[in-house]
Amino acid sequence: MSTQLGILLAVFLFPGGLFALVLGLSLKGLDRRVAARLQGRIGPPLAQPFFDLVKLSFKRTMVPATASQPVFLGAPLAGVVSMLVAVALVPVSGLYSPDPMLGNLIVLLYLLMVPAIVLMIAGSASTSPYGALGFSREMTLMLAYEAPIVLAVLAVALRTGMGQGGVITFSLVDIIAYQRSHGMFLLDPVMWPALAAFALFFPANLGIIPFDIPEAETEVLEGPLLEYSGPALGLFKVMSALKAVVVLSLGIALFMPLPFDGIWGLIGWLVQLAVLMEIGVTIVRLSMGRMRIDQAFSFFVKWPLLLAVASVVTVTVVA
Amino acid sequence: MNMIPDFKSIATKSPWIYRINAGSCNGCDVEMATTALIPRYDIERLGCQYCGSPRHADIVLISGPLTTKVMDAAMVVFNEIPDPKVTVAVGVCPISGGIFRESYSVKAPIDQYFPVDVNVPGCPPRPQAIIEGVAKAIEIWRERM
Repeated sequence: MSTQLGILLAVFLFPGGLFALVLGLSLKGLDRRVAARLQGRIGPPLAQPFFDLVKLSFKRTMVPATASQPVFLGAPLAGVVSMLVAVALVPVSGLYSPDPMLGNLIVLLYLLMVPAIVLMIAGSASTSPYGALGFSREMTLMLAYEAPIVLAVLAVALRTGMGQGGVITFSLVDIIAYQRSHGMFLLDPVMWPALAAFALFFPANLGIIPFDIPEAETEVLEGPLLEYSGPALGLFKVMSALKAVVVLSLGIALFMPLPFDGIWGLIGWLVQLAVLMEIGVTIVRLSMGRMRIDQAFSFFVKWPLLLAVASVVTVTVVA
Repeated sequence: MNMIPDFKSIATKSPWIYRINAGSCNGCDVEMATTALIPRYDIERLGCQYCGSPRHADIVLISGPLTTKVMDAAMVVFNEIPDPKVTVAVGVCPISGGIFRESYSVKAPIDQYFPVDVNVPGCPPRPQAIIEGVAKAIEIWRERM
């Protein structure tokens, strides 16, 4: 009984649900504010994503006459639910470890794919030609970045498993415990190729500028999101805020968990999230232009895949 | 003290802007792009954001004298914008036709066809004038929420 209650609390209150939503929206607000300051502007208030969400809840949701209504309105809900569970699956060092019943790293990798699939479904359900274009671009991009990320995570799992005397472990709790006793993988040269592959996966999964090809507003008018308005669009904003928290804290758990407990663990984790958001999102998206989909595809099958394969090989050879 | 936050006035802090070019010469469009994009005239500090889709928009900026060719398309796009919305006519063309007035292919003034709330005259208007127009539109929008 208490396990189920614990899982519900983790999904809806902390670290999932309400906490992750506020955290994700604050990170987005920080990103917009810092981006404006780097460009020499004043920029929106930090709470701007909250204002946007309140505004969207007041607007009317329009469903296109040719769209399939249940799929069109169900897609954003599926995305939000998958991300709520995914947040509860990522442990925070010294603060929170998910119930083993909820799932492990493999479930998390599957859940991380859901937002891309939801965007594809939404784009095709809207019956807009721009939605269809967004669909095909999203699918191409997903096929390109999925292999390197699985291999990079596999490298971490292999290193931890071999370090513990076994073969491989898919428990994020074990990965964090191993790093807390043996030092972060961030400082371990053997893991640097995997870290680089993960860093390249990160903007593609979050859909920010070098890789925001499926939702490019100047080319395909925000693609799958073109036909969405009001609360349904708000759900997509919630989904992407939660996804930012999931991917960032997954990166922290895999490569740089802090050796602190309790309140210092929480503060350290929040600082890490904010710094990663600035380095990984704001600076990257301000300093680059958008790639074409064929450029992004050939980029991903070249460098991140090479790095990820190299990391798996070095981990196996070294250990 | 009122403990419940006033959600309607919070909502008006996030006006998303959509531009319709109704046959404009691009002068006003360049001015509109600079109002938001270049550092000196930062419209994002009002919470504004340009959006690519008319379905996301709250405030519509229409520029141009509404040529006969573009009229039907502009009407379709305008009707795609969900209520409550506010219309701002940018430039002198929507008011009188500007340098294109009395042309056989121009339908100006556009307030015969669109419910214009704010006029920003000028050929092209200064960025400060466009920002003031958007600020007035936000006040009108607050009353409509």
